[in-house]
Amino acid sequence: MTALRSLVSVVDDDESVRESLPDLLKMCGFMVEAFSSAEEFLASEHVAQTKCLILDIAMPGMSGPDLQQELRRRRREIPIVYITAGEDEAVRPRMLEQGAVECLFKPFSETALLEAINTALGMS
Amino acid sequence: MTTQGVPLNGGWIGLHAVNGDDAAANTATTDLINILDTVEIPIVVVRRDFVIACFNKAAADVLGLLPSDIGQASRDISVLAGLPSLEEQCTRVIAGGVEARADFRDGDKWFVVRISPYTTGDRQVTGTVLTFTNVTAFRASIEQAIYERECTKAILNTVADPLIVLSADQRILSGNRAFYTVFGVSRDKTQGVPLYELGNGAFELAPLREQLKEMLAGSHAFQPVEVDHVITAKGQRTLILDAHPLSFPGHSERRVLVTFQDITARKQAEAAKDLRSAEELRRSEAFLAEGQRLSSTGSFSWKVATDEITWSEQLYRIYEFEIGVPVTLELIRTRVHPEDVSLLEKMKMVDQARGGGNDFEWQYRLIMPDHSIKYLHAVAHAIRDRDGQLEYIAAVQDVTARRMSEEALAKARSELAKVARVMSLGVLTASIAHEVNQPLSGIITNASTCLRMLSVDPPNIDGAQETARRTIRDGNRASEVISRLRALFGKKDTTTESVDLNEATREVIALSLSELQRNRVVVRTELANDLPPVMGDRVQLQQVILNLVLNASDAMSSVEDRPRQLVIRTERDEGDRVRLTVQDAGVGLDRDHVKDLFEAFYTTKSGGMGIGLSVSRSIVESHHGRLWATQNDGPGASFSFSIPCAQERLANP
Repeated sequence: MTALRSLVSVVDDDESVRESLPDLLKMCGFMVEAFSSAEEFLASEHVAQTKCLILDIAMPGMSGPDLQQELRRRRREIPIVYITAGEDEAVRPRMLEQGAVECLFKPFSETALLEAINTALGMS
Repeated sequence: MTTQGVPLNGGWIGLHAVNGDDAAANTATTDLINILDTVEIPIVVVRRDFVIACFNKAAADVLGLLPSDIGQASRDISVLAGLPSLEEQCTRVIAGGVEARADFRDGDKWFVVRISPYTTGDRQVTGTVLTFTNVTAFRASIEQAIYERECTKAILNTVADPLIVLSADQRILSGNRAFYTVFGVSRDKTQGVPLYELGNGAFELAPLREQLKEMLAGSHAFQPVEVDHVITAKGQRTLILDAHPLSFPGHSERRVLVTFQDITARKQAEAAKDLRSAEELRRSEAFLAEGQRLSSTGSFSWKVATDEITWSEQLYRIYEFEIGVPVTLELIRTRVHPEDVSLLEKMKMVDQARGGGNDFEWQYRLIMPDHSIKYLHAVAHAIRDRDGQLEYIAAVQDVTARRMSEEALAKARSELAKVARVMSLGVLTASIAHEVNQPLSGIITNASTCLRMLSVDPPNIDGAQETARRTIRDGNRASEVISRLRALFGKKDTTTESVDLNEATREVIALSLSELQRNRVVVRTELANDLPPVMGDRVQLQQVILNLVLNASDAMSSVEDRPRQLVIRTERDEGDRVRLTVQDAGVGLDRDHVKDLFEAFYTTKSGGMGIGLSVSRSIVESHHGRLWATQNDGPGASFSFSIPCAQERLANP
């Protein structure tokens, strides 16, 4: 399965997400890189290899959508699965409209996450 | 003076020594002549035919008779010619054998002339003997006396006040002109009339009669007596009667000079003045009563020794007793709240312990018949009355309305604070959800990972343990958020405790951090290390900090050209105080509306109610502190509050 080799990058300022999510995804067979900010991700060497971006919406400095725009500007269209700790339901349709694969509200289930990632990988 | 033909002393002219050998008779005659010539009173013997028979030496010296006058008719002697009808008088004396008297003036000398019969040895009256007694000095003293009497009479008659002299039996002897004029009586009608029949009997007063009696018995003291309704020529008058003892040398009977002073006009003026001051008093009493009514303040006096209590009308109204009901401590106790009833007794005891005469101020309650409560504030001032007895003068104000409004204000403030809390909660909902959802997310992810690690073959025990540990950590993290929320929004009553402002600030930042991040606000804390604790309500103070932080965040929402930096600083302030400042880099203060910032319902935010700063300030002030805003040197504004630290509050509770 090509998916098993795919690099999933996690960008979230919350440390517990950066700790827990990579472990789960690795157990599911993905390669994973975690970044604490959009800027850090953009500066890394993993932008090109990333097949799916698990991206926090609200972060200090550059936000998730900001990063999406920046990638679009650089013509690096990576399928994005947004994760947010917010509760505003109106966020999800807006994110999907702007091209996100999925928008998950924390706390999300393992199933919902894997479905979203698989959808994303299927697109790329 | 010379005498002719008379060898004896030159005196007793015309009395010739008897010739003969009767030596004894001669000696007797000589003796007589000597005696008569040494008498200073002129003596002239006039015979039946009015011819001068002889005279003594004094007659020659004083009257200027000459020896040649002997044998001359008396009418031809110039000095005797001054005695009118001397011959008729002599005739009468010779005929009747009874002596006569006549006044006689010689120049400036006055004499009383005694014309006595000249009786011979055979009891025949053959002439008269004239003796001239000089009464010039006596007459002068009488004239002086008369003159002085007339002067005195003139003075007494010009005195406007009536004067009378009373006899020993208190009858009127005489009066001055004013007496007759004022009383409208005549001298004849009042002479000998008892004083007590005068002026329609107005003087018939026991004290007067008694005093006059004592004075007539020798006393000099007299207390003037005021006599009303004396009928006089001018109608009814009020007179003051005074008396002075009169005594005359050689007179055993005492008399009394009585004076009458008319004080009717003065009395009327005084009465008018009394009436005026009574009116003024009535007016000032009316003012006082109105003042007491308007200010809901009554007053009372309390004589401690006798428990005699006097109330103002307003105090009756406050206690809702009928005005004029006698006030007793028992009556007061029927109104005073049972818990406050011992205050009066306590006050009395404390005062006695302090030696009495202290001022007091106290608050107490009344329970009215309709079970409503009145709050009274009393201030008592101790005075000593004329007898040195302790008396309290007190003002009692009905402060029920003020008390009610204070309570209403406190309630409104508490409700506003609650509203503000709920509003902050609304603002923080996203932030709180974020705070809770983050650890929840971690828990679920870690639990999922754990399951997977345990289900592989061989199970990844180390990994599973690590994820389980993270699960617990995130669970605690979520739990902490809930605890903080409960602390900040779940509490109702205010409590006073020692509060570490740094700790309180960190908790507020933790709760609002994600909200601030969402607004792309960068928070920098500058919390002083040695910050002393403050006394106060921790939650209320956190409410203030949160409010300032959220305001600062809002103030920077439109800032795009510079970092949205928020600085929270704590530091020691002068005067044993602690200061907390929240500094933003936002739009800054509108110079025209700085003073409105802390007014309730003033807001510059479209969604705000404008009660945050107003409530914050009232919270800070209830902590004996102050809250203020300043424009930064750079962009933005700073809001600070300063409150006393715990040490100071403990030192001065």
